[in-house]
Amino acid sequence: MRVLLCGMNHRTAPVEVRERFAVEDPRACLGKLRGRSAIAEAVLLSTCNRVEVVAASSEPAPAEAALRDFFERELAGEAPLPGELDDYLYTYHDGDAVLHLFRVASSIDSMVVGEPQILGQVKQAFREAVEAGTCGPVLSRLFQAGFAVAKRVRSETAVAERPVSVARVAVDLGRQIFESLEGKVALLIGAGEMIEAALHALRGDGLAEVRVANRTPERAAELARRFGGSSHGLGDLPELLVEADVVLSCIGGQAPLLFWEDLAAAVRRRGHRPLFVLDIGVPRNVDPRANELPGVYLYDLDDLSEVAESNTRERRREVLRAEALALEAREEFLAWMHALAAVPTIRRLRARAEAVRRREVERTLRRLDLDDRGREAIDALTRSIVNKILHAPVSRLRALGEEASGLAHLEAARHLFALDDPHAPGAESDRELEAEAGEGRRPAPGAAPARGGDPERERR
Amino acid sequence: MATWLQIGSALYLAAALAAAAGVLWPSNRLRILGTWLLGFGTAAHTAAFGVMHAGDPLPLADLATAVSMAVLLANLFLLVSVLRFRRLAGLVALLAPLAFVGTFLSALTLPDRGPDAADAAVLWSHSHVLLGSAGLALLAVAGLAGGLLLVEDRRLKAKRPLRGGVRLPSIEALDRINTAALGLGFLCLTVGVVTGALWVHAREGVYYTGSPHELWTTVAWSIYLVLVLARFLLHQDAREAALSAVAGFAFLVFAVVGVGVAT
Repeated sequence: MRVLLCGMNHRTAPVEVRERFAVEDPRACLGKLRGRSAIAEAVLLSTCNRVEVVAASSEPAPAEAALRDFFERELAGEAPLPGELDDYLYTYHDGDAVLHLFRVASSIDSMVVGEPQILGQVKQAFREAVEAGTCGPVLSRLFQAGFAVAKRVRSETAVAERPVSVARVAVDLGRQIFESLEGKVALLIGAGEMIEAALHALRGDGLAEVRVANRTPERAAELARRFGGSSHGLGDLPELLVEADVVLSCIGGQAPLLFWEDLAAAVRRRGHRPLFVLDIGVPRNVDPRANELPGVYLYDLDDLSEVAESNTRERRREVLRAEALALEAREEFLAWMHALAAVPTIRRLRARAEAVRRREVERTLRRLDLDDRGREAIDALTRSIVNKILHAPVSRLRALGEEASGLAHLEAARHLFALDDPHAPGAESDRELEAEAGEGRRPAPGAAPARGGDPERERR
Repeated sequence: MATWLQIGSALYLAAALAAAAGVLWPSNRLRILGTWLLGFGTAAHTAAFGVMHAGDPLPLADLATAVSMAVLLANLFLLVSVLRFRRLAGLVALLAPLAFVGTFLSALTLPDRGPDAADAAVLWSHSHVLLGSAGLALLAVAGLAGGLLLVEDRRLKAKRPLRGGVRLPSIEALDRINTAALGLGFLCLTVGVVTGALWVHAREGVYYTGSPHELWTTVAWSIYLVLVLARFLLHQDAREAALSAVAGFAFLVFAVVGVGVAT
């Protein structure tokens, strides 16, 4: 069984192409994938930045053709594309496909590295495939491994720790000033879209009360009504500043609205509570010298953007650590796949049975006084018994090994005969087998390390 | 007692390493582990004092035991604070090494036996050392929180991003801990000074002998009085209060520990 991944993402296809391929009804599409004989298992992932199908198949070449055909016939629609479909699509096989999925789930292949939504989207895609009956043992194992590596990346690296959008940076700064935004009072100066976007992020973090001050009272009242706050005129600012914990300002006008003196007067009256001022207006609404006031932390749009940029750079540095975890998980998954192949399972079963037979024969012969003929007879007898016992299971495993349902039998055989137990009888033969297999698999010294996930290289 | 102290000391060391690694790495798990290890270390440390009082009563009359008690009380205060403010790994990373050094030296220098418990002065000496240690411990926490607040305030004012993901406690949490520790610490120190005077009276018939320890402790107490008044009555801002706490604690260490050791 082989793993394939075919799709397009933000690096290979512009948004006008991606939106054409975006899937609205994944179950219907999965049903169409199931109808293609070369594809044994399939999971369909469709987000704003990528449309990908992960498939398991014992016939990789026909399966790849089927996946490309699926994109062309089922998803592309009737209207002509701005370019050739092949220019947008990439296909990965086996290790590269596995690594790509792990990178996607871990959010290191995302447009915004470390963004948290992608893992939920991958989980959703997996659930839909399970419900549609297109997810079998290989992809189940693959996706579970993907979720595990995503969890490790999240907990063991700082890839997702630093916010990279201006609104999230504001929330993160708020958490560095206040223990939590819960119960804090926000003063909004202005009632435009920028204010609303930033307020959404702050409200998501538990900000309690909202007070809106604006030149136009109607707009202030409208915003206040939507966020359950109170509306005020700009004349109320001196009083509002005393009570506020977070000030969010984005209002038109050439001159600053809040001068150093205004904030200094408010600071004197508010005790030693910190005041977080976010000035996202252009031109700036707050006198920059206000940052020098004790307990006042003033950030303008450039400051926030600079922090966001710095966080993006830090996240990219962390990607290397995340890549290492994904590579490690890929090796584990490939080892599992390899172990489940029919030939290694059969070889191990035979080797263990032979090791047990040989040991028992030698022990018995030591106790008997037999000539060479008698010894050969016993040796032949036991060999024949073992071969006859193993004949049926080995034949069936060989026949089923390359089919999807065969994986379950292979896994059952490994479990029943304890083939993965290093302490089971006959396990001493494993080392010889592994040495042989290792020589066959080991890359040549100086060979390039395994890599994956480069759409440019893999594009066909 | 020594065995429990050694266990506590080892746990404090582990807590210091875990919390420091958790802050510098950064890793939430390590930060949480550091806090738990500090908790276990504090439990072992408490057991050490329990054993001390259950067995052969030994008043807290020597410097090693007093330092050990100060460390224990500082840790207890911090652990209670962790229940309110979750992100205090930065403080754990600072306090745990001090706790380790304090308990380690205490375990090495424990006296074989204390003064006669029947002595009338023992009650006052015990109270004086206990409360004085509590005051020292809490003012140490106030100083550490103040130090961290100054670092974090400077970074936020300069708009510098977090370096290497090192995330200190929030300004609000540090300020509240600083205020609470300053208030409680000053109270303990005040009662400690009063019981110290009573101890001297029980022993020598006067309340004040003019020893360097008494003189410098009185000066330190007076300085703290000014700090507390500035903080609570004049509504000093967080940064000024932090600076005062750092300077005040440095002076107190000099006045009580430095002068105590020197004399």
